[in-house]
Amino acid sequence: MYPIEGAVIACAGLGSRLGMGLPKCMIEVGGQTILSQLISLLRPWVTRIHVVVGYREELIIDYCSRHHPEVVIVRNGEFRSTNTAHSLMLGSIGFSRKVLYLDGDLLIDRESFEGFLEHAAGCELTLGITQAKSSEAVYVSTGTDSDSGSLEVRGFHRDMPTEYEWANFFVASPALLGPGSKYVFECLAPFLPAATHPVEVFEVDTPEDLDRAKAWVNSQAIKN
Amino acid sequence: MSTAFCFDLDGTVTTLEILPCIAAELGIAEEIATLTRLTMDGHIPFPDSLRLRALILGQVPAERVHEIIDSIPLEPMLLSFIDAFNDASFIVTGNLDIWVEPLLSRLGCRWFSSKTKQDSGRLVVEHILDKGEAIRSLRREGKYERIVAVGDGANDISMLEEADIAIAYGGVHPPIPGTIIAADLVINHPSSLCTLLKAL
Repeated sequence: MYPIEGAVIACAGLGSRLGMGLPKCMIEVGGQTILSQLISLLRPWVTRIHVVVGYREELIIDYCSRHHPEVVIVRNGEFRSTNTAHSLMLGSIGFSRKVLYLDGDLLIDRESFEGFLEHAAGCELTLGITQAKSSEAVYVSTGTDSDSGSLEVRGFHRDMPTEYEWANFFVASPALLGPGSKYVFECLAPFLPAATHPVEVFEVDTPEDLDRAKAWVNSQAIKN
Repeated sequence: MSTAFCFDLDGTVTTLEILPCIAAELGIAEEIATLTRLTMDGHIPFPDSLRLRALILGQVPAERVHEIIDSIPLEPMLLSFIDAFNDASFIVTGNLDIWVEPLLSRLGCRWFSSKTKQDSGRLVVEHILDKGEAIRSLRREGKYERIVAVGDGANDISMLEEADIAIAYGGVHPPIPGTIIAADLVINHPSSLCTLLKAL
């Protein structure tokens, strides 16, 4: 049995801070959409992938029917008045055990992500964190678990810069996501401390983030 | 939770639309396929289109229609699902009872279809199924706490709107935009569909 039952990718948001007029998962970086890069990253690990759509859903539905017919599209018809946590809850349909939840605007380094998933196999809740770098970071305070010696997340902070920021992906039971209008990290805060494993991640929220992500993808291409 | 699974027949459980296959017998497969496509896309009201197609295709003897339908491949994964969840599965089809009854009997689950009668050797469409009404009648039975519906064409929209979980399915061809608007989920692969249905 796979340690993770499936993945839910939240792609319903407006992406208004980036202002490109299309869902962020549909932006091409390094010649491939972010969505295709995420699906390719997840494929060796999960058989079931749910993609939650809202803003300009027809673009993603058509794209998936041609390039990723095996994914399940979940519609968030209330994407304008709900947030990512609601999309992730809708996307959990048919899942009951351990699910990987991700934002659809992430470019993720494969090697460090594999380390994260291996770590997540043994934990109830595992949070993705990355070196702080994005324009509007949610910082995380970390510490070392006295029993296992592993890194753990102890708090989220908007205004207190730390080494790491919240990377907008995590592994958890669907039961953790309840209805409400909180941000995802706010939904997870009551369950801290939680296991973590730093991953190299670039989130695309603003034009500056996109430039950074493109530069990183180009540097990876040159390296390989 | 007790769940009923309601499936469209043509292009969902069957891998081809049935009426164009029958029309091939009369050498008018292309014409009926065009009519079927226009109907599925919602450009022609389903009842008008079905009466017209029944009028034309009624020339083919029912026994021959059964042979033709018998030769249409069924989606194997959906077939296995219906077999495994026989008591909870339903075929909800606008197609005519006289044509699809042998196939539906073989599937072994319950079904709703349009109804016909013979009048002086002529095929007469007596009742055209409103798929939304089929779901409502199933709900009135009170046996199922949750109803899941799977469809792809314009006449599936009312069924999807009445269901608790509505799935626009594009296993054979893309679901029409109206079914997507009425749906909670869009699924294009039979394996993904059956995996999800089993997990619900």
